[in-house]
Amino acid sequence: MTVATTTPQTNAAPPAAAARDWGGSSYPSQIWVLTGRSMQALKDKRMLIMSVVQPLIMLTLFSQVFKGMAFAPGFPQGVDYIDYLMPAILVTTGSQSAMWAGAGLATDLKNGALARFRTLPISMYSLLTARSVFDAVRNTIQLSLLLVGAVVLFGFNPAGGVFGTLAALLLALIVGWGLSWLFMALGTWVRNLEVMQMIGMVAVFPLMFASNAFAPVESMPGWLQAIASVNPLSYAIDGSRSLALGDLDAGPILWALLISGIIASGGALAAGRGIRKP
Amino acid sequence: MTDLMIDAADVSKAFGDVKALDGVSLQVPKGTVTGLLGHNGAGKTTLVNLLTTVLPLDAGGATVAGHDVTTDGHEVRSRIGLTGQFASVDEQLTGLHNLVLIARLLGASRRQAADRASELLELFDLAAAADRKVDTYSGGMKRRLDLAASLVGHPDVVFLDEPTTGLDPTSRLGLWEIVEKLVDDGTTVLLTTQYLEEADRLADSITVLSNGQVVAAGTAAELKADIGQRTVAITLAEAAAAPEALAALRRAGFSPIHDEGRRAMTIPVDAANALAAVVRALDDANAEVAELALHEPTLDDVYLTLTHQAAA
Repeated sequence: MTVATTTPQTNAAPPAAAARDWGGSSYPSQIWVLTGRSMQALKDKRMLIMSVVQPLIMLTLFSQVFKGMAFAPGFPQGVDYIDYLMPAILVTTGSQSAMWAGAGLATDLKNGALARFRTLPISMYSLLTARSVFDAVRNTIQLSLLLVGAVVLFGFNPAGGVFGTLAALLLALIVGWGLSWLFMALGTWVRNLEVMQMIGMVAVFPLMFASNAFAPVESMPGWLQAIASVNPLSYAIDGSRSLALGDLDAGPILWALLISGIIASGGALAAGRGIRKP
Repeated sequence: MTDLMIDAADVSKAFGDVKALDGVSLQVPKGTVTGLLGHNGAGKTTLVNLLTTVLPLDAGGATVAGHDVTTDGHEVRSRIGLTGQFASVDEQLTGLHNLVLIARLLGASRRQAADRASELLELFDLAAAADRKVDTYSGGMKRRLDLAASLVGHPDVVFLDEPTTGLDPTSRLGLWEIVEKLVDDGTTVLLTTQYLEEADRLADSITVLSNGQVVAAGTAAELKADIGQRTVAITLAEAAAAPEALAALRRAGFSPIHDEGRRAMTIPVDAANALAAVVRALDDANAEVAELALHEPTLDDVYLTLTHQAAA
């Protein structure tokens, strides 16, 4: 009897009640679910392989072409060029990859996936955070593979040992993560993959070379020295290098962290505004 | 609790110098379908975007499902579903994954999300394509998935912005049936469309927008009775005879509607004996008539009359 009376009641519940029961999702679960969505892109191994092969090629070329730098003024004594170069490659590769967070967002905005998210009761910051989390994960995989390649193929073996190297990797990841917010902001305003890639090239490439990545600043002409010494990437590279080479120098590390924090906050504000534009 | 699921008063929105909406009011009672008619650029999509909180409104106020769109957007978004003119789905994910993702973002558990997704895929005849990436779907399949995506959370109010544009006749019929079923279950629907047949079949009441303003509102029957008229449709043998025929008709007291250079014209008529007067006027003008027919009012006439008035 009791069963007979309760069953029709549950059946009679209006379908609208079901969604109300779900009750919306918390910020962490929004970020978790949206990061999971982005992770689908990792299933396409080609992108990941290319993203490791490209810096390996750069590493090959630079380690051979710029070998003579080891005799340049300001070059640290008794350090192999590969050990000098690799921490810088970590930072520049991480910075270049930051562009992909912006490119992914621009694609979402273009193909309509974001139009759907806008009509859902979720925070747009969850979406941005999910992008940056995914980007950090992808970047970690990419830089770790690159590091393994450098050890195996080029005998990268800096004085800082495993811990120094991992710390250098971590700093490169943080710098890349900070920049990813800047590129996401750009992505929400530009909304065009091709233009994004152009800007990425134009912005990052000169910063890469007008820095201490490949050669000591002291070996450069005066005007380039001036640029290189205010280039934020130089701080990150100096910091990463000091960690890897076991010659700890807190100054540039702190500067790199501070600048990354400022870039991330500014980027987050701009991206939060930009993503709401129709 | 109010009975109105959409209540917009004096809503305005401008894009730069262009006034997209100028003092629009709209009321949609629970469990009904309101059709929003208007030509391209009339402001239909802008109104939908304001009511779904995608865009902020400049002036006026609106509530959806009892919640203010300006101050309580989050609550509004948890009660609505929107199917826009372009499929808002992630092409890199499978159909199933798209729906599961939305359910999860609405707070469903994995199990609940999977159940709801399969249910909808079944309903929209997409079960066979559930595990295929959306970028392999046909246009019609994408639109069906988009509609399914807007229904994941059992919304109280569903906005359909030209949902059948680009669908083949069979899919269109199928979609109409789904909308009718939704309304039977108590869902409120705001439908924008350019197809008057669609509005006639689905909408309990119709609001006609032109240049960002409401030019008429009522049931299809009311609009037909008030604005729609019996019309005489004429096709002349030659377009060259049109100016003279128009002049003769105007002298006889008619207001023919005619697009320049066309052989066809439409003449709204009041009295039953007007047909004879039309024929006499055409005879006076020596216009050779290829085709002549008396039409009872349709929604098309209502629409054309209104938009011609608004343009004049």
